[in-house]
Amino acid sequence: MAENNNSRNIRGRVVQKGYKRPEFDEQYDTTLDDVDAVFNDSEEHHVTEKKEEEPVALNAFELISMSAGLNLGNLFDSEQEFKRETRFTSKCPPKEIVRKIEEAAKPLGFDVQKKNYKLRLEKVKAGRKGNLNVATEILQVAPSLHMVEVRKAKGDTLEFHKFYKNLSKTLKDIVWKSDDVQMQYAA
Amino acid sequence: MGCFHSTAKRQHPGYEDPVHLASQTAFSVSEVEALFELFKSISGSVIDDGLINKEEFQLALFKNQRKENLFANRIFDLFDVKKRGVIDFGDFVRALNVFHPNIPMEEKIDFSFKLYDMDGTGFIERKEVKQMLIALLGESEMRLSDEIIETILDKTFSDADANQDGKIDRTEWENFVTRNPSLMKIMTLPYLKDITTTFPSFVFNSEVDDLVT
Repeated sequence: MAENNNSRNIRGRVVQKGYKRPEFDEQYDTTLDDVDAVFNDSEEHHVTEKKEEEPVALNAFELISMSAGLNLGNLFDSEQEFKRETRFTSKCPPKEIVRKIEEAAKPLGFDVQKKNYKLRLEKVKAGRKGNLNVATEILQVAPSLHMVEVRKAKGDTLEFHKFYKNLSKTLKDIVWKSDDVQMQYAA
Repeated sequence: MGCFHSTAKRQHPGYEDPVHLASQTAFSVSEVEALFELFKSISGSVIDDGLINKEEFQLALFKNQRKENLFANRIFDLFDVKKRGVIDFGDFVRALNVFHPNIPMEEKIDFSFKLYDMDGTGFIERKEVKQMLIALLGESEMRLSDEIIETILDKTFSDADANQDGKIDRTEWENFVTRNPSLMKIMTLPYLKDITTTFPSFVFNSEVDDLVT
């Protein structure tokens, strides 16, 4: 399509000059009601919360819904977009995974709060959109295989992407399979 | 100079009037027009016939890594309501409508039930769930023993299959996803509320007063 003064091509699509790709950062933060409940709870919230000896086990449908084929958001996505959440699997015992994440996050400048198999990582220094806040949870696929979900709770998505790259380097030894293929391409 | 609608009709079989589609869905007229932009880019990627075939759908979903995927096939089949092996614009809009944040959960639960009831018997059978679970594990390159897979299925069915008949009916499914709302996350696309920003449709001089919607 011929270019004129009012338009420029983005991948063959004519768009308005000054077109700015929408930023979904703030509006679409993952719901973290459950994580918040764990960390903000007072005695009243303890009603259903019993001491977890083991990570929560994922059921078949929770696993199935992780398929890329069911993530229709990809229809709208472009190469530029960094994911707001990612996951990896590990064959390490869950308590050790928690310990390793804590060990890895602290030198990266994060405060760590943990409860059972949920961790809240908050960057001490404020970034582009406030303090980066990351929620992680260890879930059981099988007794010998666990999944770690890492989600941005607050802050800049690009900073989250950089943090995750650093984190996965440090955690390399415990990562079995990682979901961050798209993140690699996006980099 | 022909008006927008007749030009589009000639090039895109199954193209429907945006006003009509907007009245049937949660989308506004300009949102439907924006979806048409997306539809055109997907449907023209392999064969420029104004229809989305399976290959084009895979390309759009997996970003130029066309691959066979059980779940993408299921989604395609559900979009392809007329069972012609292709998705036209009307199909596209009406199917995406289910994923709109404003659509009632009931419709999303319906869609997800049909999604997982692969053979359309009206029940999600254990063998279907096993097949889907194995497909997911293959996709993520996780290999688990059959014993472990059976354990996962046991736990899932003891939770979801209230009458323990080895299959999940529509009511059991509704109760199950109500207890496990994260299962419905895949059924809502927040992007659909911002579609006009992602795909500005200013190229069209819409003759329709958007205030109608």
